[in-house]
Amino acid sequence: MLIKLSYLLLAGLTNGSVYGLIGLSLSIIYGSSRVINFAQGEFAMLGAMCAFFFMVSASLPWPLAMLAMIVVVVLAALALDYGIYRPLVRRRAAPLTIMIGTLAGAIILYGLAFVVWGPEQKFVPPVLSLEPLRIGFLITNSQQLSLIGLFIFFLMLTWYILYRTRFGLSVRATGVNPRTALLMGIRSERIVQFSFMFSAFISGVAGMMIGPLLGGNVGMGLLLTVKGFMAAIFGGLGSPFAAAAGGLAIGMMEALMAGYGTSLYAEPSIFVFILMVLIVRPYGLLGDYEAERR
Amino acid sequence: MLNIDNIVAGYNTSVALENVSLDIPEGKIVSVVGANGAGKSTIVNAISRLVSVYSGAIRFDGKDITSMRPTQVVELGVVQVPEGRDIFPPLTVEENLRLGFHRLAGRKDAARRYEERFSYVTGLFPILRERLKQRAGTMSGGEQQMVAISRALMADPRLLMLDEPSLGLAPMIVDQIFDILARLRSDGLTILLVEQHADEALKLADYGYVMGTGKVRAKGRGEDLRTDPTLAQSYLGRMAEG
Ligand SMILES: Nc1ncnc2c1ncn2[C@@H]1O[C@H](COP(=O)(O)OP(=O)(O)OP(=O)(O)O)[C@@H](O)[C@H]1O
Ligand SMILES: [Mg+2]
Repeated sequence: MLIKLSYLLLAGLTNGSVYGLIGLSLSIIYGSSRVINFAQGEFAMLGAMCAFFFMVSASLPWPLAMLAMIVVVVLAALALDYGIYRPLVRRRAAPLTIMIGTLAGAIILYGLAFVVWGPEQKFVPPVLSLEPLRIGFLITNSQQLSLIGLFIFFLMLTWYILYRTRFGLSVRATGVNPRTALLMGIRSERIVQFSFMFSAFISGVAGMMIGPLLGGNVGMGLLLTVKGFMAAIFGGLGSPFAAAAGGLAIGMMEALMAGYGTSLYAEPSIFVFILMVLIVRPYGLLGDYEAERR
Repeated sequence: MLNIDNIVAGYNTSVALENVSLDIPEGKIVSVVGANGAGKSTIVNAISRLVSVYSGAIRFDGKDITSMRPTQVVELGVVQVPEGRDIFPPLTVEENLRLGFHRLAGRKDAARRYEERFSYVTGLFPILRERLKQRAGTMSGGEQQMVAISRALMADPRLLMLDEPSLGLAPMIVDQIFDILARLRSDGLTILLVEQHADEALKLADYGYVMGTGKVRAKGRGEDLRTDPTLAQSYLGRMAEG
């Protein structure tokens, strides 16, 4: 009984960490630009596919492969910034228009990945061992544990940057009002660019780590964007930490419903549950923050 | 110190300033007054390089800043307190002040300069000292204006531009803020003050400009403009009552 529960919770924690990392990434971009980046999951897809490409096809050791993956993902983020975000902002496009732009970006990234890797499921090699690891009565593996560890690490790193550095203060100010930030001498375009790159980095690493557990294919980005988006609005889009917590909660609910009910109903039930929460708390479970901006 | 030479400026759809020239001498207060939509904010935002300038030139210390980026203008020490204050509501008072300090934050002696600016600003507005951890958005209108002015002063500006600092404030608070501006001038600061409260603004100013629909209609010593009966009727009439 207890063993099954703890096993489910662990699985939920693992998937939840990934959703949380995507939610965190989404809300970092949202926080500086008021735009939801619908290409966020594609960064995770690129992370997984690059892990496959650099570790299997190019047979690099994992630290080098990870470095190469980060370069690719950050370049993709820059392409999105220079190719879509900036031109639209300079033409004073509304946030909704820019979001549709990022959706176009997602489709382009998917298309490019499709050309390179094709539609098949790829075996993404684990960075760490998938060998069962026994901790008391829990059975896990180091890949799973490292994902949870990364989740905590990125959460703390983001918190540190946003709330303990001068740069982070500029990021938050830009999110509140980019024009006023500009009047302080803060180059808001630079700030948004950083948030694209930083969040792509987080999502890419998340994708690389979840690849071996979920399997990698070029279509996985959309699902991750949706889950990350759910995480972010469930927790509260205005705060990266609320978004991350939302991801954890969704991962847990999914695992528990699949374990005790059937996975068939898990997803729709979670959607309904989130909808109900949003009716009561439109800014998300933890989000009072967003309401008082602007 | 700042010199606007015959600029035409505006928004993609319309021209808001037609051949406007304006001079701000060092250490003086220059007031720009005029009715709604006269183009007062457009002047301030043209200087801050937020508005397109189609012809003419803006010079600061003789240097042409017309094609600079907004951040470069701030870098030179030309800082504005925007219309409607535009503080950062979810951030604390202290964070707002730190953002104002952004211009100097990268410098070598930043820590010392911060202390120096901070004590200057809290000397002007002592209540801010007790409110450092308060979210700026939860303060009263007058307090928010103090935060906005303090934030600009944290940058140690060479030219301070204020766009309708009296907006929505009680007369007593407005007087307080104008007293502070006089104090800033006596400390050597150069000030461009945009106001609809023409009477007070011209009384305070060394020089004044009266704007009407995108043009300078009159200029001169503040006191002369204030007491000119024809101006009061044609351009300031509506404001003289308020
Ligand atoms: N963002 C904008 N886009 C287009 N036109 C604008 C914009 N901002 C101002 N204008 C126009 O430019 C003209 C001058 O506006 P401006 O804001 O400079 O007036 P103002 O003197 O500051 O008025 P107020 O006292 O109401 O603040 C007005 O006709 C206004 O409609
Ligand atoms: Mg105005």
